[in-house]
Amino acid sequence: MIEFLTSQFGVSAQFVVSVVLALVVIGAMQGGVAYCIYFERKISAWIQDRYGPNRVGPLGLLQPVADGVKFFFKEDVVPRHVDKVLFILAPGMIMFVSLIGFAAIPWGGQLQLGEKLVNIQVANPDIGLLYILGVASMGVYGVVIGGWASNSKYPFFGAIRATAQMISYEIPMGLCILVVVLTMGTLRLEDITQLQTGYWLGFIPQWNMFLHPLAFLILFICVLAEANRAPFDLSEAEQELVGGFHTEYSALKFGMFFLAEYGHMITSSALITVLFLGGWHLPWFSWTQPEATQWYAVVAKMGVISAKIVVFLFLMMWIRWTLPRFRFDQLMRLAWQRLIPVTLALFVLTVGLLYFGLHRSPVWALSGNAVIVVVMLVSAGTVGKEVTGRQPNLPRIQESPGAAALAGV
Amino acid sequence: MTPTTGHLLYLVFALGGVGVYLLLPKGRGSQVRAGAVLGGLALAALISVLATRIVVTNSTTAFFYVFSTIAMLGAVRVITHTKPVYSALYFVLVVISVAALLVLMQAEFLAIALIMVYAGAIMVTYLFVIMLAQQDTAPVCDRRSHEPFLAVLAGFVLMAAVAGRCGDLTTASGDTIAQASPTKATLVANVPESSDVGNTTAIGRAVMTRYIVAFEIAGVLLLVSMVGAIALAKKKLPTETVEEERTPIGQIGREVPPY
Repeated sequence: MIEFLTSQFGVSAQFVVSVVLALVVIGAMQGGVAYCIYFERKISAWIQDRYGPNRVGPLGLLQPVADGVKFFFKEDVVPRHVDKVLFILAPGMIMFVSLIGFAAIPWGGQLQLGEKLVNIQVANPDIGLLYILGVASMGVYGVVIGGWASNSKYPFFGAIRATAQMISYEIPMGLCILVVVLTMGTLRLEDITQLQTGYWLGFIPQWNMFLHPLAFLILFICVLAEANRAPFDLSEAEQELVGGFHTEYSALKFGMFFLAEYGHMITSSALITVLFLGGWHLPWFSWTQPEATQWYAVVAKMGVISAKIVVFLFLMMWIRWTLPRFRFDQLMRLAWQRLIPVTLALFVLTVGLLYFGLHRSPVWALSGNAVIVVVMLVSAGTVGKEVTGRQPNLPRIQESPGAAALAGV
Repeated sequence: MTPTTGHLLYLVFALGGVGVYLLLPKGRGSQVRAGAVLGGLALAALISVLATRIVVTNSTTAFFYVFSTIAMLGAVRVITHTKPVYSALYFVLVVISVAALLVLMQAEFLAIALIMVYAGAIMVTYLFVIMLAQQDTAPVCDRRSHEPFLAVLAGFVLMAAVAGRCGDLTTASGDTIAQASPTKATLVANVPESSDVGNTTAIGRAVMTRYIVAFEIAGVLLLVSMVGAIALAKKKLPTETVEEERTPIGQIGREVPPY
């Protein structure tokens, strides 16, 4: 079929593969996002010692279908006090942004088609990594506009929190990604994957995770914050803001916000996988090496990258059901006073290693990381600033005399 | 000297300038109808002058016209919309269409940098400020133009300068503006060793070699402005702080003072 298209219409094989892949990925995304919700509920049930959804279909596997039907047929309320245009536009914006990020993810290396090699990737632009970053930075608009257009108190607070949080965590995230870019020397995600396929000492895969573990960890933290996931989900904190920025939304519009969050999680997981875990590369198996370009190798590679993404999704859900939420001043302090200095130090370290040509030497990179961790821990231990939002010179609250008596006992 | 398209465009812009002057809200007796008629005439004349030169040869030029139309309409809405939040969103639209134009000129790095810096960072911060500071109805000072005549004059001179350049371009080569636009971004094309390397690498080299002084000065300027902003925003706290005794960690929550 591809030969027919290329000969009749003059389109390249890469174009055909890109179009097919775009359709497949968007379809798989919708399904994957729906099943993410199912897994989230199952994992929360497992952590809280419950059964979770188990009524619809075997093991509750048809629950996402039932949820989808419910989203479609619920009454779609548009309150009278909202800004109608933006209120309707916001869910579309957030869904759009969470779907187009996939275009630059390399899903399965290269495929041999006749004499040509085509990338299993919708597009492999010169600026693939920057494209994903740019799209991610647009993600905040859906939240902000949704919260503002709702024209009511709690959504507005949620929108403002989301803006401050996303602007803050974009900085350490960008610096972590710069560390990878400096080490790899390219912005193409496919090239970054291929550069990680070697071995150290003959058996340790050259994944960036083993080169810059600190950057990997901080990037994961920032991704949690960017996706508005617990413990950073302050913009939709149920206990204080009802539902945060989507309080006023109902039916499918709410569903789009809901699905976009999971879409964001999948994109971010894919990005971390490509940057730090070698993408589709699995060591010691010949099918998942860059030289393997048969169709079954491509399928195997897609399976590997999907498995890595699932691991990250599980980690995110595990964290959500385990850790309590941050307070807002703690959130800001973590970004500006802890993560940004550490990532700046990492950045300087990488530039220094690059200057001496040692940027791909694990011994130097790891010892530099260790030095930064030690300095960070020592400074955190000795500076001893109280992590609290309390102002130091407020008048003390008058205590009742009974308390003093009790304290004496 | 024979009249060229440039001269015709000067006339059209003068007409448009008068129309805009009449349209601007000046607070007393408005001549909106006359202004609208004049402005509409100028727009029609401008379109009829330029439309004959639109030649769509391939998908690139077609996309050029689509995105530049979106950018111009968006820009008009940025300055004419009464709600600041909408203006900010229209500005984001303008930034995205201009980024698309840059992609058409194969300057992907500039395009994505534009989106990341303006749409992703600056406009989000702007929206934040607008949302915090917005009032229900715009105050009087925001609903009137302060110096309508000077503003219209400055706008006319700017547009006329651009139009004169357009006239040169169209008459000198006999090409349309879109065809005359370079296929590679000018910045990249000017870098001699850019032919074999990618766009990003070429810009990086240019910034770090030829334009290093300007680059460093821009960086220092940004730093200075940041320091200044922090110095202005810093709250002046009293110097002595009250030392308060703290409950030992094991004792927290043990005793509850009775009412």
